[in-house]
Amino acid sequence: MHIPDGILPISVTASGYAATTAITWYSVHKINQKENPREDIPKAALLTAAFFVASLIHIPVPPTSVHLVLNGLLGVTLGYFAFPAILIGLFFQAVMFQHGGLTTLGINAVIMGLPALVCFYIFRLRNIAGKGERMTGAFGFLAGFGGVGVSAVLLLVILLTNIPAELDASVERTAIFTLTLAHVPLMAIEGAFTALMAVFLQRVRPEILVGA
Amino acid sequence: MNIGLDQYVYLASPLHRWEPRCKLIGLMALIFAFSFVGNLSILPAMLVVTAAVFAVSKLPVSFMLRRLRYPGFFILAVILILPFVSGSTVVLSMGPLDLRQEGLISVLSIAARFLSILTIGLVLFGTTPLLTTIKSMRALGLPSILADMAFLFFRYLFEISDELRRMETAMRLRGLSLRRFSIHGLRTLAWLGGSILVRSYERADSVYKAMILRGYGQAGRSQYDLRASSRDLIALGVILMVAGGFIAGDILV
Repeated sequence: MHIPDGILPISVTASGYAATTAITWYSVHKINQKENPREDIPKAALLTAAFFVASLIHIPVPPTSVHLVLNGLLGVTLGYFAFPAILIGLFFQAVMFQHGGLTTLGINAVIMGLPALVCFYIFRLRNIAGKGERMTGAFGFLAGFGGVGVSAVLLLVILLTNIPAELDASVERTAIFTLTLAHVPLMAIEGAFTALMAVFLQRVRPEILVGA
Repeated sequence: MNIGLDQYVYLASPLHRWEPRCKLIGLMALIFAFSFVGNLSILPAMLVVTAAVFAVSKLPVSFMLRRLRYPGFFILAVILILPFVSGSTVVLSMGPLDLRQEGLISVLSIAARFLSILTIGLVLFGTTPLLTTIKSMRALGLPSILADMAFLFFRYLFEISDELRRMETAMRLRGLSLRRFSIHGLRTLAWLGGSILVRSYERADSVYKAMILRGYGQAGRSQYDLRASSRDLIALGVILMVAGGFIAGDILV
């Protein structure tokens, strides 16, 4: 799901870094507004590590298995820490496993992190809608489905408009549309998984779901 | 989860001895200069510089090959598809497939850039302990929230990963076997994921208390005793000139 080095033109990777810097600055600014900003750092860091590990859980979908992205739920539980968390996760992924890339770190962070923030805002609507298990499940599904969905669309748009292929604009649009549709089953699995996880957290440790 | 990235950080080479802040700035500049290169005639020079940096670093070739294997798959897909869909000048026709010149050229430059950037990245992070790299980022102005999160993330990643493995083993020992997709199986795995989140969350509490007891958050003396010698700075100047040369060359040629 991450864009490797060498494919995108530098204008795109540089804009990615610029956007990432801006969003990170905004997040850090929001975190520093809290009474004791340091208190949440260990929680955010350990949850980041836990999300990193949990995204390695493989779901059997014969004939293969899929793993999850979980950026929606990450946004929900980490709030304004979500974007820095994703940036750190992607940095370590690029450095340790060469998955993603160093020049594309900025743009990859935007692809994964922006939807996480959106999910955080959407999930906060639960405060108005009610915090029953059904509502938590419904919003969890929305966060999981939407988080991966927006990421997939962003990724495909960036890849297909920038890959140095002289593709026709209409062909490009069809390709983006078809490939997005192909991801819908994955988005549904992600949504269901996130909903189940959110309900579990609501039962066991409701304070993890920040909007709570 | 064994990363083996710092397997060779204790070798002795000029790149290992290079001051980490200078190394970070210099090699990152080189990486971005490489990502700028689009001109075919400059690609050989880029590969030569990459090979030279790699040779100076004394990292074994097997280390690089092992690390290139996984990201290589994606690039392989691009290499196999792009020459057939991109461009209009057909150089070779194979049945329904046309090999196109523009596609071939962009594949060449993508592959060369990918190889060079990844190799320089491996040299950068394979010759310095990861924690030292983060310290030098902090010294260069990375917000402390990010640096602290990165330290703690790295500190607990492997423990949490081991914990997940233990839980999975325990589930299997109790007779769980998930071969088909089912809502029941999905729920079990979601609870597994949820448990790992809850455990980490609870652990963070005691981690924070222990950190406070040890003086976390108090202004103390700087832990970043990095010092760049004139030799480090000269090396940085040379690398920055090389990086600038690539950008200038790509614009001028």
